[in-house]
Amino acid sequence: MSAVRSLEEVLVDWEAVIGLEIHAELTTLETKMFCNCKLEFGADPNTHTCPVCLGLPGALPVPNRAAIESIVLAGLATNCDIEKRSMFYRKNYMYPDMPKNFQTTQGPVAFCMRGHLDLDVDGPAAKERYQLDKLAVGEERENIIRTDSGYKAHVGITRIHMEEDAGKMVHLGGGEGRIAGATHSLVDYNRAGTPLIELVTEPDLRTPEEARLFMQKLRQIYLAIGISDCSMEEGSLRCDGNVSLRRRGAKEFGTKTELKNMNSFKNLHDGLAYEICRQAEVLEEGGQIYQETRHWDPTQKRTIVMRVKETADDYRLFPEPDLAPYDLSDEFIESVRAKLPELPEQKALRFAQDFALSAYDARHLVEHRETAAFFEKCMQLAGADAATLSKPIANLIINDVTAYLNANEGVVLADTQFTPARAIELVRLLADDTISSKQAKEVFSAVMEEGLDPAAIVEARGMKQVSDTGAIEAVVDGVLAANPDKVEQYKGGKTGLIGFFVGQCMKEMKGQGNPKVINELLAKKLS
Amino acid sequence: MTDQVFGCMSACQIREGLATRQFSAREIADESLKRIRALDGATHAFLETTEEMAFEQAARIDAAIASDLLDEMGSLAGLPAAFKDNMNLIGTHTTCSSRMLANYVSPYTATCVSRMLAAGAIPLGKLNMDEFAFGSSTETSAFGPTHNPWNLSCVPGGSSGGSAAAVAAGLVSVSLGSDTGGSIRQPGSFCGLVAVKPTYGVVSRYGVVAFGSSLDQVGPFTRSVEDAAYSLNALAGRDPLDCTSQHITTDFTANLSEGVRGMRIGVVPAFMEAKGLTAEVKAKVEEAADHLRQLGAELVEVDLPNAQAAMSAYYVLGPCEAFSNLARFDSIRYGYCDPGHKDMNSQYDASREIGFGSEARRRIMLGSYLLSAGVYDTYYYPAQQVRTLITQDYARAYEQVDCILAPVAPRTAFEFGAISDPTEMYLSDMFTISINIAGNGGMSMPVGLGAETGLPVGVQLIAPQFKDENMLRVAAALESVYGPAPVATAFLPESDLSAPANIPDARDAVPGVVLGEEGECRA
Repeated sequence: MSAVRSLEEVLVDWEAVIGLEIHAELTTLETKMFCNCKLEFGADPNTHTCPVCLGLPGALPVPNRAAIESIVLAGLATNCDIEKRSMFYRKNYMYPDMPKNFQTTQGPVAFCMRGHLDLDVDGPAAKERYQLDKLAVGEERENIIRTDSGYKAHVGITRIHMEEDAGKMVHLGGGEGRIAGATHSLVDYNRAGTPLIELVTEPDLRTPEEARLFMQKLRQIYLAIGISDCSMEEGSLRCDGNVSLRRRGAKEFGTKTELKNMNSFKNLHDGLAYEICRQAEVLEEGGQIYQETRHWDPTQKRTIVMRVKETADDYRLFPEPDLAPYDLSDEFIESVRAKLPELPEQKALRFAQDFALSAYDARHLVEHRETAAFFEKCMQLAGADAATLSKPIANLIINDVTAYLNANEGVVLADTQFTPARAIELVRLLADDTISSKQAKEVFSAVMEEGLDPAAIVEARGMKQVSDTGAIEAVVDGVLAANPDKVEQYKGGKTGLIGFFVGQCMKEMKGQGNPKVINELLAKKLS
Repeated sequence: MTDQVFGCMSACQIREGLATRQFSAREIADESLKRIRALDGATHAFLETTEEMAFEQAARIDAAIASDLLDEMGSLAGLPAAFKDNMNLIGTHTTCSSRMLANYVSPYTATCVSRMLAAGAIPLGKLNMDEFAFGSSTETSAFGPTHNPWNLSCVPGGSSGGSAAAVAAGLVSVSLGSDTGGSIRQPGSFCGLVAVKPTYGVVSRYGVVAFGSSLDQVGPFTRSVEDAAYSLNALAGRDPLDCTSQHITTDFTANLSEGVRGMRIGVVPAFMEAKGLTAEVKAKVEEAADHLRQLGAELVEVDLPNAQAAMSAYYVLGPCEAFSNLARFDSIRYGYCDPGHKDMNSQYDASREIGFGSEARRRIMLGSYLLSAGVYDTYYYPAQQVRTLITQDYARAYEQVDCILAPVAPRTAFEFGAISDPTEMYLSDMFTISINIAGNGGMSMPVGLGAETGLPVGVQLIAPQFKDENMLRVAAALESVYGPAPVATAFLPESDLSAPANIPDARDAVPGVVLGEEGECRA
């Protein structure tokens, strides 16, 4: 089945109701959730195991206090209420990757309840939100409020609970490691008992873009508080999406499907977008949505059925008798709160206020911890010039630096030749018109490649910008004289030709003419 | 000297003999193993002997004696001991008397076992039980029943029947059992032993294969109150590997000689009038009460208004926890694996069908049903509420009394096959279950033989939570009247009983679980 209509078209007739379940492995901890086995990704199979995480007869769990601290930190960072008394439960089901054949998880009361995150939705995909243009800035509808550049969405978090991961299975003899057709399966219990926190959102999300932004924001928070490496590729951050559709104006929820394998932000967005379109098509053709688990296949760009849930799974949840109710003291909660670092949202607010940045720029600066730290270092070095240099530095980071990092996967900014001092030098060369913005990009690349200071590169390449009015005027006059027909057309109203004249002048000056001066002179002479 | 019967001796006698070098620990180990092999054919208390470990421990003790360091060996130094087969002891089979675990060899040792060994006890073997501790007669063992040393055609009680029989037959001086609804106290009564189930949390459960995690508690079988107290001193206390275990600093021997003068002892009229309580047992409880009164205790009637609901709550909570605890026996990593299956679910089903006996399957089915959606609120939740009420009943009663006196079991040991209806069998625990539900300590104290059957009768002493020393004090007072528990007549040192047994030894155990190795199915 292929989607016939675009997502936006579908969302005119249908309202998508999306909730997310996001699992994060607490990879930064030393040991597992209920035993002292080491947490280590990539160790030889079954080398980090003991009677407890192998579920051997007689073994008992002892909770990892550091893991409880991590989940409380996550709860505080996502505006949750921290429950002072919560319990572990057993979720009973049999599968070879689950040594005890029950998963230790939490019951109706989790450590963290009733939180929320506010999303700033302002990219091009903001228009996925139905009738956004009908709202005036500052006007509210449902859970959103219109902003200058898009809207802010309030997304409820039902809970964050603590649980343990299962072992990892490898299926051999079949195709591509899948269970179908496999002749036998191997289990690695190194991962069994890894502390896992699961965040469940309210069904407050309405567009794939909101889901993507929620995941992105949560990832930034988890990275900032340091509880997980949040690798979506390696699976330490995993997201399942529940999606249903209902007719615009309807109150009842439709039947939902659960989507798996959305292991990147793009896959999360595209998987949900596909599923929304698929459901709409089924419903519009008079068909029925089945409650089922579907797998997003990013290569074929479609979702496929994994299994149908005819009845709800009965996990026979009951309180874990080997673990007493877990009481958190006020002192403990406060001691965790004291460890809460500045969160990305707070950092963005501070950047905007202290350095006169737009909310958009500030938010993009804090998207990655290292770019935020880089920016902050630059502002320190800029000293008295911070206010004037903040915008060009921000642009440099958001555009050139981010593009470089995206193009060079795995590269860490701190390991490159581009230091905050060089960044300051580069934007100063730009600010005093020594080089043009086009030249600045060349210098940036050269710094990365050659490891020299920007001034030295400018010097060595003789790239200095010509701003001398007399010299430029001569070139301008020459260009105008050589193109009388274009001058006529321009004067006849074809003002777009200004670009042609600027380009000709730049060419004459081997790219070193100050475009600002060229523009000014051209405007004067053509008027 | 080799004519000593060490398994019939007390901790003090053994220590005295070792200290004065009348015998060595090596002789204790050697003679005890010989006696077990010569007589256990009659009782079938042992599933496995642990010869190498026994000699190793003996060597350690003898070395200490040679260096005049016996005092550092612990209060149980040289005491012949054995353990219920649901307790892990590294290198031994831990079968839970189930076909499911017939080939399972422990890769680690339970805390309770290692504490007994640290206190100097000599490990002689592993003891028969009802399969996974489901039963009151040891008849559900996959390896055949244990016989009551007092009458070999009778059951020893259960589920810790092997633990009780081994001590009653004088094969060992101390054994450990576990008690989920009466599994220490009832066989203690049937075999005439001091049998203690401490308050929940006194002894670590780490390494004891779980039946009902919120109910299970480990305790000793001995023939004297003092030996029980020494054992508790060794066993009790916080274990970082069991977060339900508590810090305990009590010296359980401290108040044994204080007598009961001034103590208030509760009697529960509803228990004494319970349907099914036999006249001989009732008479013995009344007799014990009279003795205590004569010794200066004040007897006070107390009510436990909700105790009659304990049985119902127990048969909800116990199976629910058992269902979940036994889910791990799935044939994948260890345990019985039915060969030849092409898909996982049929291997699961067949392995569990064949691996578990009928009582285990009954409880798993029951728990699975009771926890299922829509049923949970009808049974599990009310059972937890009942649990709270019963706990409150006991707490209220202990505002008036220091200890409660009650029957242990409604009758003395019965003959094999006498009870075939499971629900009738469940009634064996009618006086013991509420104590597990409330979490209090309880013990069986032998008070002689029943007038009709001539079989041992125990009375139950029930302590306030974490006041287990109270019941031991009362027990010591009763012991001053009745004397220490005797070895069953046919097994007395002077008896000429010969019943050789061919018991497997742990040295032949082949480890089934090697950490880090790909799990191989063993049929």
